[in-house]
Amino acid sequence: MSKPTFEQFLKQQLPRQQDQDQLPEPQRDLWQGIENAINMPDPASRARSPWIKLAGVAACVSAGLLSWQVIMTQPKQDTMAHMSAFFEQEKQTLLVKYEAQPALTKDWQGPLQELEEAEQAIKLALMKDPDNAALLKMLAQVYQQQLDLITKVHQPQWQQI
Amino acid sequence: MIINAKEAFNPDTIERLVQRAQQGEQAAFEQLYQQCYRRVFGLCLRLLADQAHAEDATQEVFVQLWHKIAQFQGQSKFTTWLHSVTSNVAISYLRKQKNWLQKVVSLEDSGMEQAEIMQCQSLNGLDKLILRLPERARLVFVLHAVEGYRHEEVAGMLNMAVGSSKSQFHRARKLLQEWYDNE
Repeated sequence: MSKPTFEQFLKQQLPRQQDQDQLPEPQRDLWQGIENAINMPDPASRARSPWIKLAGVAACVSAGLLSWQVIMTQPKQDTMAHMSAFFEQEKQTLLVKYEAQPALTKDWQGPLQELEEAEQAIKLALMKDPDNAALLKMLAQVYQQQLDLITKVHQPQWQQI
Repeated sequence: MIINAKEAFNPDTIERLVQRAQQGEQAAFEQLYQQCYRRVFGLCLRLLADQAHAEDATQEVFVQLWHKIAQFQGQSKFTTWLHSVTSNVAISYLRKQKNWLQKVVSLEDSGMEQAEIMQCQSLNGLDKLILRLPERARLVFVLHAVEGYRHEEVAGMLNMAVGSSKSQFHRARKLLQEWYDNE
């Protein structure tokens, strides 16, 4: 039998995209985390303290100033160096923020170190080819993964997922 | 887990579960989750093109749903409302991922690599192609062609011009056809 044309393929597949047997499955049980999150005390009631509100406002102002600084001071050249500088700032801010908070797992430093090694390898490659968009993107992804990892292992509401 | 298909697609059952969940009955909400999580995850995966992010976003959808379910008035079908909540959560999840790094490097996210797609089991033929699309083309294609939103609605959801939504849709179709023909 010959392969259907693209139009036929779309016509056949699109209406079936919501069929239960056509839907992908998550690779882990998601309910446990949802249950934990919905049984947590209402964050709105915790946020009633004026000090917490004030801290929130201060954090927003700092984030705004940082973003403004990024946009206004970003030079067109040497993207890698600036990306690295801002990443370091973000990373240090997160590490300080979570300093007193226990991490979800004890061995999170291992994956972080692996990401740092990947970062170094990409930086080396970028030194030879500074305008390589694919490498810059990879570096950005490795930075983002580091920030995600630090945040994830310290966020209490998701600790039991 | 074995899903009873008859039970899973019985709208009366979903309606009853919604009503019970609106009364704060968590067991009913869990059953609702069991009936709907694949729909939600499927849409999140198509929009985000990342297994782990789609799983996180699915959890976020159900947590928001628990807090918002009392607001559901029953004017539309529950699944329609669920898809709209899911689309909004997934799009805002994607925006949250785009932080300062994207400001420094303004590159559009390409879709999933083929090797990653191979690791995602239970994907149908069209999904395997959709997940390879670059971000904007993928979002527009999923919202317009799969979810049935009009270009005006898609443009509003993605904060882009209607013309951009249409051109991204054509870009998506062109890429999908190219990949399909070369398979």
